[in-house]
This record gives sequence, C-alpha cells and structure tokens, in this order.
Amino acid sequence: MGKSLLSLTGINKYYDKNHILKDVSFEVIDGEFLTFLGPSGCGKTTLLRCIAGLEEIDSGDILLKGQSIKGLSPNKRNVNTVFQNYSLFPHLNVYDNIAYGPRVKKSMAGDELKTKITDMLELVQMSGYEERMPNQLSGGEKQRIAIARALINEPDILLLDEPLGALDLKLRKHMQRELAHLQEKTGTTFIYVTHDQDEALNMSHRIAVIEKGRIQQLGSPREIYNNPRNLFVASFIGDRNIRKVKILEGGEGFAKVELGSNIIDIRCVHEAQHPCKSGDTAILAIHTDKMQVSCHEMPNSIKGIVTSIHFAGSQTRIDVDVDGEDMIVIEYLKNECECKVGDPVYLVWEETGAVLLPLEDSEDPRGFEEGDAV
Amino acid sequence: MKTLRRNMLAIPIIVWIGLLVGTPLIFVFVLSFLSRDNLGNIVVAFTLDNYKRIFDPIYIRVFFNSFLLATLTGLVTLLIGYPVAYITSGLNPKRRAVSIALIMLPFWLSSLLRTYGWIILLGNTGIINNILVGLNIIEKPLNMMYKFGTTLVGTAYMLIPFMIIAIFNSVDKLDRSYLEASYDLGAGRLKTFFNITIPLTLPGIFGGFTLVFIPALGLFFISDLLGGGKTIFLGNLINTQVTKGRNRPLGAAFSILMIVLVLVVLFIYSRAAKREEGGLFQ
Amino acid sequence: MRSRTKGFGTFYLSLFFVVLYFPVLSVILYSFNSSPSTAKWAGFTLDWYRELFSDGVIGQSFKTSIQVALLTSVLSAVLGTAAAIISLSVSKRVEKTIQGVMILPLLVPEVALGISLLIFFTALGLPFGHLTLVLSHSLFCVPYIYIMVQLRLKEIDKSVIEAARDLGATRGQTIRTIIIPLVMPSIITASLLALAMSLDDVVISSYMSGPRSTTLPVHIFSMMRVGVTPKINALCTLILVGTFFIVGLGQLAGKKNRIKEEF
Repeated sequence: MGKSLLSLTGINKYYDKNHILKDVSFEVIDGEFLTFLGPSGCGKTTLLRCIAGLEEIDSGDILLKGQSIKGLSPNKRNVNTVFQNYSLFPHLNVYDNIAYGPRVKKSMAGDELKTKITDMLELVQMSGYEERMPNQLSGGEKQRIAIARALINEPDILLLDEPLGALDLKLRKHMQRELAHLQEKTGTTFIYVTHDQDEALNMSHRIAVIEKGRIQQLGSPREIYNNPRNLFVASFIGDRNIRKVKILEGGEGFAKVELGSNIIDIRCVHEAQHPCKSGDTAILAIHTDKMQVSCHEMPNSIKGIVTSIHFAGSQTRIDVDVDGEDMIVIEYLKNECECKVGDPVYLVWEETGAVLLPLEDSEDPRGFEEGDAV
Repeated sequence: MKTLRRNMLAIPIIVWIGLLVGTPLIFVFVLSFLSRDNLGNIVVAFTLDNYKRIFDPIYIRVFFNSFLLATLTGLVTLLIGYPVAYITSGLNPKRRAVSIALIMLPFWLSSLLRTYGWIILLGNTGIINNILVGLNIIEKPLNMMYKFGTTLVGTAYMLIPFMIIAIFNSVDKLDRSYLEASYDLGAGRLKTFFNITIPLTLPGIFGGFTLVFIPALGLFFISDLLGGGKTIFLGNLINTQVTKGRNRPLGAAFSILMIVLVLVVLFIYSRAAKREEGGLFQ
Repeated sequence: MRSRTKGFGTFYLSLFFVVLYFPVLSVILYSFNSSPSTAKWAGFTLDWYRELFSDGVIGQSFKTSIQVALLTSVLSAVLGTAAAIISLSVSKRVEKTIQGVMILPLLVPEVALGISLLIFFTALGLPFGHLTLVLSHSLFCVPYIYIMVQLRLKEIDKSVIEAARDLGATRGQTIRTIIIPLVMPSIITASLLALAMSLDDVVISSYMSGPRSTTLPVHIFSMMRVGVTPKINALCTLILVGTFFIVGLGQLAGKKNRIKEEF
C-alpha cells in the first residue's frame, strides 16, 4: 500500500437543518482508484464536492499532501472534477476547452500547450477533434474531452461525479474498461462517485459504501462483496437472501444457527464487532448466486420445497419455500438436479457466500431517512 | 462571511435605482404637502390644501375620467385580445411564431407613430372619411376626432399587445386534456370555454388587465393628440400643472394619488393571483 | 364543425392584424403623397423627405436622441448585466431585494416618474440635457436588461460555472471567460431594446429635455400638436425603417445564439 494522499477527518456538512455528512473520516492512498458507492441522496456527491471545494464543510478538516485545503476556493485546490453532465463550455471548441485550465492559470502557453493538448487528445483517443464544438460531440466523446480537460492540469486527484450516468448500457461498459485503463496508465488518483454497484466492483481498488451521510464500509471490492460489515452493505451490494436467525452456539469463525427447522453452520466475519455469542439473534445473508439446489440431502444444507422455476437465458431463478418463507437461488450452470415445482430440495452454498451480521434497530434493510438530499 | 462580502456587491445597484426612483418619489411626496406663491415659487409650509382640492368636483371628474378610461381600455383589450391569444396558441408552430412576432412587433414601433396613424385615419379629411364619402355611404365627413372614444381607441391600440401576451402565456400553459375531459363529459364548446378555459386562464386575464390598466392612467400624449384636450385625464392634469400651470405641489399631489391608485390595483391583482393559485391546488 | 371554427379563427386573426398595422401603413403611404392634406392622393413625391433633411431643428433633435439612446443603452447594459451577475452569488434575500428595486421604475406611471425626476433634478441643480435624459432613460432600461440577462443566466448549467472554477479560474476570470460570452447574445438583444425604448420615449423625455437638447420624439410630439403634415409622416417612416434595422440586428444576434445552443 502506498502513502496517504488525501485525508479527511470528522467532516460534517449541513444543508439548512439536514445533516448531510456525519463525521466522515478516511484516507485516500496515492495512485488508487477509490469509489464512493451509495444510493441517491446518501451524500456521496456532496462529499466529492467538499473535496473539490464546490461545497464548504461545516466542521472537520481536509488535508491534501499534508496541507489543509479547508476553506480554499476550488481554483486554489490541485484537484479537478469531471461533472455528471460533462459541463463542457458550449461557446469554446474542444481545443479551447482543454486549454482552459492552463490558460487561466497561465501555467502553459504556446507550443508547450499545443503539444500537451495533442497528447491529451491522444490519451483519450480523440485526436483530430480540436476544432469541434461541444454540441457536435456524442455523449461518450464529451466525456472523454471532459476527462482530458481535467487531466491536462495534472491534478493530484481526479474527481469523477457519476460520469457514465448519462450513457447507454453498452457504451457505459466500454467506458468503464477505458476509465480503469486510463487510471492505470496515468497513475492519477481517481475518486469516483456512482450508485451502480457493478461499476464500483469492476473498476475500483477500494470502495467506500456510503449511506445516510456515513461511510458504512471501506475496503476492496472483494472484501465488500464477500464480507459486508452490516445489513445495509449486505443488501446494497449483490443479491442476497436475508433471514433473521438464532445463534445456538458461537465458535472459532463459525457459529451454529437455527433457521426455522434447519440447524446450519455459518461463517462469522468481523468478530470484533459481532462476537457471534450464543443465544443472540443475528442476520443471515446468503448470496443468491452462490447457492445451489440439490436433490439429495447434503451436510449443512437447508431443506425446502420448490415453488417456481424461471428460465432467463444465462441464468435460472428458483424460488424455494423454507418453512413458509421464500428463498431465491440463481443458478448459472446446468444443475444435475432436475427438480420440478413441488419437489423437496436441499439448498447448499459456497462458504464465502454466507455471512452472519449483527441485528440492527432498523427492520427495513433499505429504509432511508426522509429529508436526505442528494 | 463570504456571502456577506458578496452581498455588499449588490449595494451600488440597489442604491443606483433606489436613489433615482426612491428619492424623487419622496421629494414628490413632500412637495405634495407644500404650496406655491403667485409666481409659482414653492412655499415651504405644511398644508393639506392640495389633497383637499382633489375633492373639488372638477378634479373628481378628472379622476373619474381616468379611471373610466383605464377600466374601459382593460375591457376592450381583453375582449379583442383574448380571442387573438387563444387562436394563436392553437396554431401550428410555424404560423404561431409568425403570429407572435406580429403581436410583439408594435412594441418596437414608435408610440407616437402609432398614435399619429389614428389621426390620419380618423381625421375629418382622414382616410376613413375619404373612403366613406368616396363610396357615397355618407355625405358629410363624420366627426370622429377629439372624443373620449378616440382616446380610448388610441390607448387600447397602444396597450393591446401587453394584454395578448399576458393571456397567451396563460392559455398556452393550459393543459388541453382538461378541455378534452370536459367534451368527454358532455359539455359543449361554449360551455367548456366558459366553465373551464376562462377560469383556468384567469391569472393571465388579471395579469393582462394590470399591465394595461397602469399605463392607461398615465399616457397623456394619446389624449393630447387624439382627445384634443377635451376630456381631461389625470395624466394631462399632472402634466399641465407641472409644465404650464406652474403649480407643482398640486401636480405632486395628483402624482401621489395616481401612484396610490396603481398600488391599489397591484394589491388587488396580487390577492387575486394568490387566490387563483390556492384555488388550483385545493 | 372543427374546420369552420378554424376558418373563423384565421379570419379573426387576419382582421386583427389588418387593424393593428393599418394605421402604421397609412402613415407610410401618406409620406409619399404630394398633397399636404390627407384629403386626396395627389401622386407620389419624395419632397417631404427632402424638406425633412433640410430641417435643422429635426437634425439637431435627431442627433440628441441618438446620442442619448447610445449612452443609455451602454450604461444600462453595464448596470443591468452587472446586477444580473451579482444576483448569482448573493443570498436569496438580497436577490429578492434587487428584483424588487428593479421592478420599481416599471410600476410607477411614467408621468409620475417624469415629474418626480423633474422635481428631484431641479432640487439638485442638475442642468437639464443629455445627463438628465440618460439618467432617466436608464431607469426604465436597466430593469429590462436585468430581466433578460437573468433569464439567460438561469438557463446556463450551473456546473459549467463550477467547472471553470474547478479548472483554476478565479471568480473574475470565470465571469470574463465563461459567463459574459454565454450571455452576450442576451445583452446585445436587450441593449437594442433599450436603444429602441430610449429613442421612443416621449413622456419622461418631455420633462428631462433641456433648452438645447430636445429629443426627436419630444419634437415630433410638439409638431403633431400643431397639426397634420406629411413631413411628420416622412419622419415617422424613417424612424420605422431605423427601428426595423435595430430589430433585424436583434434577431440576428438571437439566431446566432440559438444555433450555438442546439445540442
């Protein structure tokens, strides 16, 4: 792991009476691709804008390379933003748009600027577009110019605010790969805001899952995906079957729990926060795509009855009734168990696919507070 | 802190207009309580005489004339302008743009030119009389100039674009599905127009009426040129008191009266507009 | 049924426009009439225009009008645009105050505004002439420019301005390089409107004119009071041509703007 580039401590932000960011603290490592992931209204864009200097923070501090940039106006921070709607200057052509930063800062001129712009256009694969006006560009092209316009300033951090949100699915997938590649090539630290978990999982080195103005979990995509720290993260990322269970017996990394009439062993992660004590009620979360239906009784399995089977091309969705509650299984490969609706089956799962989480006050795993602004 | 500093930037602008509009109005207000000597010089002594004179029957008449002119101008422009706005809003985009341009163009044309046109049309040797006599419809030219009606025609002609634009904005926002719903429920065209269209475009009607009423009170050059000074209106009175009668205090008092009248109209308008807004959502 | 109402609509609209433009067209037509009276058409002539150009008083007042109108529109453009841009960064309450102050000159009837300015400037001892004309005209021009520029500013994507700041531009650089160029078409159109309004004003100008600086409309007004002469027709026609020129320029500015904005 590299050294810390940006450090946020105890950031709070209010819009009138709405508490948008609540005591946010974290470090950004030099050269990483960090993603803020969360539902709309969770405060992720506000957090990005606080780093850019487009919003003022009410308390806390932001250090860039060890220097506080709190209160500095955006033009005095060596970070640049790629906005959601690109925000190219409509009255300037591509060349002048990219030249804008160096010109206003008088950091480059003449041939040096010209060469640099040529390099930038090459970097984003837009060579030859110098004379085009923004209204003559497609969404994807605008996006690349916006990135070039930001990167020419050699920012310490490039901030990207849902930059692919306006593109169609196919182009979005393509741009995801390109962005990740670009980040690797330039070595610039990226902070990327999105509500799309696939985007976050695909591109990032680390993901900060944000909800209700707090960072719920910060870690690598694998960590976030496999070992969610709480119910929100578990339900926001990946599709899981979520059940309340009773812990019968806590153990070394495993706990014996009771789910209806079944007694099964489940992994206990984050033991420090959630000790998996006997007698506690906890939440069981199992990835729908890490489960499998078996026709024969298996060790450590859940017994149920098939209620419906949906074939959807690459995957099959099987609904299984477990003691009166529905469990969903998504299968990608053909299973040797040819079950029909009404058949009794046994559900098994990959060990990493299931996890025990602490029980929280909130009953509704996706319940958002009212008044949370974007 | 930052916002405070930025707010300071607004001060020169507010002072500029405030000084040039606010202070003169205060001057006029103060002046309206002063009197003048025989030479027309201002005497600094508080008096309510100027306001008492307003209740002189002659001046009451002037006041009544102005009020009547402004009200009738509002009604005439409404009756003529409403169909224009309504029809224009239903046109296809191309014709609609042409129609709007034709409605707006008079804003750019000299108001004196437009008034003068009516002198040419309505005069004893004017075009209309020429045509009527030429066609043997009448024997002697009709006397159409220098009447109350002439001033009304000129004022309405001058101000009708305001009325049409105000109504157009309202009619154009009207959701036509309301009308379809009304037809669907069995109401006829006329019934729908009076029960749905008119009530829903009331804000535009009020707005247009206000926009026409206020200037109609003060356009003294129209009544000077077309009315020939036969009917005296508030605007003419203020103008003569200040420029010829050398009685500025009285002119000032009438100006204050006129401003109060405008404020009353605006107050009624804002109340009506608010009620309409509330009515729509309740 | 439908087509009948439609036919009536077209008829009504056409009739309305005929009445709307008939007086204007009559003025133009009779400016070419060789008889001094409107009683009959005595043939085509340009005599009235010739007479017009040799009239020194008209020439002088025309010059005054143009000077006043140009100064007014420049002053108003600067003030109105500045007010609109300042409105962007002030708090809501200050913005409301600016708006309220801007509406004020439009609410006071012209006669009342005219005489109050007359009394005010007299009390200040300002000489009546160009200065008082420009100051008073700017009062009813600034609000229009402010409103038009502000409407345009509201259309600009706020993040474009943020992008400029983000790329390193100071507040001043952002205004110079981004905001002003983007609202320029509106400033031009609004300035032309101010030009036309200043050139057309009779009421306020009649109080503000000095002994040696009468504006053209004030002069025309006094001519009209004396009586009908084709010279006035000719003058009005020329003004009309001038106005169309200004409107044309405004349309051109507007069109250029629209082409750029089509995304």
